[in-house]
Amino acid sequence: MNVVEIENVTKTFGSVTAVDELSLNVPKGCIYGFIGPNGSGKTTTLRMIMNIFYPDSGTIRTFGEEMKGTSTDRIGYLPEERGMYKKMKVRDLLKFYGELKSGRKVDKDVDYWLERLELSDWGHKKIETLSKGMGQKVQFISTIVAKPELIILDEPFTGLDPVNVEVIKDAVLDLRSQGSTVIFSTHDMNVADKMCDFIFMIFKGQKVLDGTLASIQEKYGSDTLRIRTEGGRSTLDNLEGVDRITDFGKLQELRIKLGFDHQEVLRQIMSRTQVYSFELATPTLYEIFLRIAGPEAKEQVDA
Amino acid sequence: MHKTLRFIKREYLAAVKTKGFIIMLVLMPVLMGGSGIAMYLLQGQVDTKDKRVVIVDRSGIVADMVLKAAEQRNAAAVFDKETGKKVRPAYVFETAEPDVTDPQAQRLELSERIRKGELHAFLEIGQNVLHPEGDPSTFQIKYHAKNAAIDNVRNWLNNTINPYLRKIRLSEEGIEESKADEIMTWIQVDAMGLVSVDEETGAIKEARKTGEAEAILVPVVLFFLMFMLVMMGAMPLLQSTMEEKTQRIAEVLMGSLQPHQFMAGKVLGGLLVSLTGALVYVAGGVFFLGRMGLRDLIPFHVIPWFFAFLILEIVMVGSILAAFGSACNDPKDAQNLTFPAMFPVFFPMFVFMPVLTEPTSAFATWLSMFPLFTPMLMVIRKAAPVGIPAWQPWVGLVGVLLFTAFIVWIGGRIFRVGILMQGGPPKLSNMIKWSFRG
Repeated sequence: MNVVEIENVTKTFGSVTAVDELSLNVPKGCIYGFIGPNGSGKTTTLRMIMNIFYPDSGTIRTFGEEMKGTSTDRIGYLPEERGMYKKMKVRDLLKFYGELKSGRKVDKDVDYWLERLELSDWGHKKIETLSKGMGQKVQFISTIVAKPELIILDEPFTGLDPVNVEVIKDAVLDLRSQGSTVIFSTHDMNVADKMCDFIFMIFKGQKVLDGTLASIQEKYGSDTLRIRTEGGRSTLDNLEGVDRITDFGKLQELRIKLGFDHQEVLRQIMSRTQVYSFELATPTLYEIFLRIAGPEAKEQVDA
Repeated sequence: MHKTLRFIKREYLAAVKTKGFIIMLVLMPVLMGGSGIAMYLLQGQVDTKDKRVVIVDRSGIVADMVLKAAEQRNAAAVFDKETGKKVRPAYVFETAEPDVTDPQAQRLELSERIRKGELHAFLEIGQNVLHPEGDPSTFQIKYHAKNAAIDNVRNWLNNTINPYLRKIRLSEEGIEESKADEIMTWIQVDAMGLVSVDEETGAIKEARKTGEAEAILVPVVLFFLMFMLVMMGAMPLLQSTMEEKTQRIAEVLMGSLQPHQFMAGKVLGGLLVSLTGALVYVAGGVFFLGRMGLRDLIPFHVIPWFFAFLILEIVMVGSILAAFGSACNDPKDAQNLTFPAMFPVFFPMFVFMPVLTEPTSAFATWLSMFPLFTPMLMVIRKAAPVGIPAWQPWVGLVGVLLFTAFIVWIGGRIFRVGILMQGGPPKLSNMIKWSFRG
């Protein structure tokens, strides 16, 4: 069963088409990652699912129903920009948001989540006194405290240190295991790579990727040679059969031209320097993202 | 609990659980009627330093009298009889011979003494003050001081010299002193209410004396109270709606609330804030006036009207403010829209005096029937001692009820679109478009 079904949805703002003929299905109980460069239409799509924006054409069904004009109590939403009353105390705010959505007392849930996210000591503090990261965690709790069936998180990891990123990731995985469906947008390909059951990439309002990570990588094939050498990046110039080199410092990724033998490339490198290790790999999500939305893609479009 | 009620509760508590609200509750009346209260409280704070005044008397008949009168005044009024504490300045007069050769030099010399602080003032009395005829400069009385226009000594001299001169003039006409007092007696015209029949006994009741308090104070207090309560409950809605929009709180709330629930929560929360203030002021006013034995001043017949019109005024103005707030994207937008949004409250402020003095005039009647201004102007007319036809407040009430329903409907449509529309200043054309298309 699909929790969200988007069919041929278009949304324009003046002369700008933010989302163009988009179709997408989000199955129940999965984690769906929305990726795409800034201004590509991720947030607009999320807001349309939330009924904050209505599509110009096409239909959006959540839980099998078109919900135009109604509030969406079964969905928890964490907006990209934080929306909290600065003068309210943390615990009061969480209770207010939770009870407004669920219509029941949520004191126990608030206590549980404050403790889990190490915010118990901050319950009586005003929102305006919190750091950006803490504010982000409070906003996250406010989104999930009412136990919604569908959780939509727009850039949930922004402003968090690595420890807190892990804390939120664990919480999201737990919620999924308890039956919630999670949609989140992110710029962090590592997070999307590791957490998502499905990945959807939108670019200039259009869907360019949709599926499991494995199916996406399969589409791009094993065209990447990941290599560590003594000479490093400087010894890899002007190799025959190499389209592009991505330098990670101690490690380089070489994209092999379509139809060219990777063994031949390896031989050329070994003749120049000592090879410590190599691996023939599928491109990472990061690499695929850059191929679609990076300068290389722009060069191809311009050409 | 219903969602709207939950939101009303938050809005209400967010407003009243602050120190600001308590301070405003206390400060608002002080600021509004403030100067009067401050003057009343501070009237005892007078400068008790003696006032030395030189009299240059060219008439030769005034100076001695002033000296005697000042002695009597100083003996009676300078010291508190019970405590013996000095409560007023003594007026100490000295005479100076008029310099007939160079009066300007004498004036300059006395002015210099004032500048040095040796004197408070000097008084010049023209030679013909008893029979003021011919050249006006010969019968003028001139009081020279640093701030002569506002000066208690000058007032005292005015009230002392003139009756004295009148008495002399009368005695010159052969009228004896006791008769002169009677001639000069001034009788005030009393302001009275209308005579009516007592419903219980059937007897004709004495007309009540109408004081200024009743004629002016009661309507003015109710009028300004309503103004204050609108400022307290409705005015913040513009700013708070704008903040909820720009801080993306609206985006989160709209996941749980319908736009009409959102707006209703804001307006009704503001209404409760105003009603809290109204209850405090009205109950406090009734209690204190009762304790002070001024129960007659309490306009019990107007209080239900006051509350009915207050509720409608807050809902009407609050809906306009919430709708305007939803169209704003920054505090500057909100600032620009404040005046147009508050027009139904500000306009009655400009016209309340003519309405108060002539509550039954065509101007006052028609203006108070215009729904935007009905609540404030009808209350002032209803509270005035002059009775207005009984049907008028009812017609006004129905009119404002219908108009408020219309404003809430239009405001709701603007709010629904505006609250999520980011970017661009609030344009009237857009708001009209939203109100039609929804």
